[in-house]
Amino acid sequence: MGSAASATPPMNRMVIAALALVGIFVALYLFAHNLGLGGPMVCGVGDCAAVQSSIYAKVGPVPVSAIGLVGYIALLVLSFMGIQPGRRDSRAIGGLLLAGAFGGTVFSAYLTYLEAAVIHAWCQYCVISAILITLIFFAALAEVPRLRGNRS
Amino acid sequence: MTAAFFGAACTNTIGAPLAAHRGVNVSRAEDRKKAREGGSDMTKFYLILGVIAVVGIGAVGYSVGSNTFGTAASEPVEVPGLDDQATLVAMAQGVKKGDEDAPFTIIEFGDYQCPGCGEFGLSVEPQIDLLLVQTGRAQFIYYDFPLTQVHPHAFLAARATRCAQDGDKYWEYHTMLFRNQSSWSVQQSAIGAFVGYAEDVGLEGDAFESCLKSDEHADVVSANMRLGYELAVPSTPTIMVQGFGQLRRLRNNSYQGIEEAMAAIEAAAAAGN
Repeated sequence: MGSAASATPPMNRMVIAALALVGIFVALYLFAHNLGLGGPMVCGVGDCAAVQSSIYAKVGPVPVSAIGLVGYIALLVLSFMGIQPGRRDSRAIGGLLLAGAFGGTVFSAYLTYLEAAVIHAWCQYCVISAILITLIFFAALAEVPRLRGNRS
Repeated sequence: MTAAFFGAACTNTIGAPLAAHRGVNVSRAEDRKKAREGGSDMTKFYLILGVIAVVGIGAVGYSVGSNTFGTAASEPVEVPGLDDQATLVAMAQGVKKGDEDAPFTIIEFGDYQCPGCGEFGLSVEPQIDLLLVQTGRAQFIYYDFPLTQVHPHAFLAARATRCAQDGDKYWEYHTMLFRNQSSWSVQQSAIGAFVGYAEDVGLEGDAFESCLKSDEHADVVSANMRLGYELAVPSTPTIMVQGFGQLRRLRNNSYQGIEEAMAAIEAAAAAGN
């Protein structure tokens, strides 16, 4: 079963890798603006300036976009490793993906709450990121049977 | 029976390995098929990742590159000839409002990122406007004096107001910057906010943005700074009242302080000093 299962790459990890790569570019765009490299932010919907200039746009000295960037890179690397032959049944990678996606979703939910209830402004890139990490979390749920059942 | 047994035995003893062999072949074939499908999936996956990467790099690169190459001057520039007093006076240009023939001139050296200037601009300046400028008692002149050592966006903000002046919206933009000072001051890059405010006061965003992302008006702002240094402006806002051949620097940056300075100048003029 093990060898048969590892013949095809896990679809959920491929989905996570693709979504994480999109997330990397969204976070990179915001981070470039945080560094003053991006000029005016293109914000068709919402008020990105209000969100990005709020005190919640940073955790200490670190911009939230930088945290997102690191998180998405970690998810991409993990999922990419997890589709390579020999690691397709890796429970360690599955566990890390699930934990990372869960942590990211919780953090993103907190940021979405801040936008809705505290800042009263929406940043479209933050919303896109929230949707991406939620989808990644759902894709990572497919790791649960792998973590529970495949002990061989 | 025996034959049948043997036959059966033969059939069973020979057939079983064949069947097992066929099973192994089927299993290997399935594995190879799955491996091929897996390889095909990986190819599609890499293609999708490649497309995402190309689109992402293109979008972020275009956004960052187009803005980086249009560098906005946010530091004072070297203006030749400012050592000469006549050139300095010609180059340094405050923005005026009110009657040029008014008996008094109120001069401010200000910094758009300085909280004290914001307070003066939003509380005292409207009183000056209403009670002195509109009544013809005084003219108001604003000179840029961005304290770039402590206020990283101040020079750019001063240039932004000059870009707004190109569209005849200087004073509206001037007030807009003070009103939103707490917001844009804390941003890593204030360019986006400045362009947004320009659109809010009715300026054409693209023209304003292209002015801002250049070195336009950097010479005037730099000359104004130099004039401030020549006049030993100690801090911002520095308010001066000029009239009847006298110039007084305010110690109390309030409307009352301005009225007191004007009264003192008038009294001195009446006394023939």
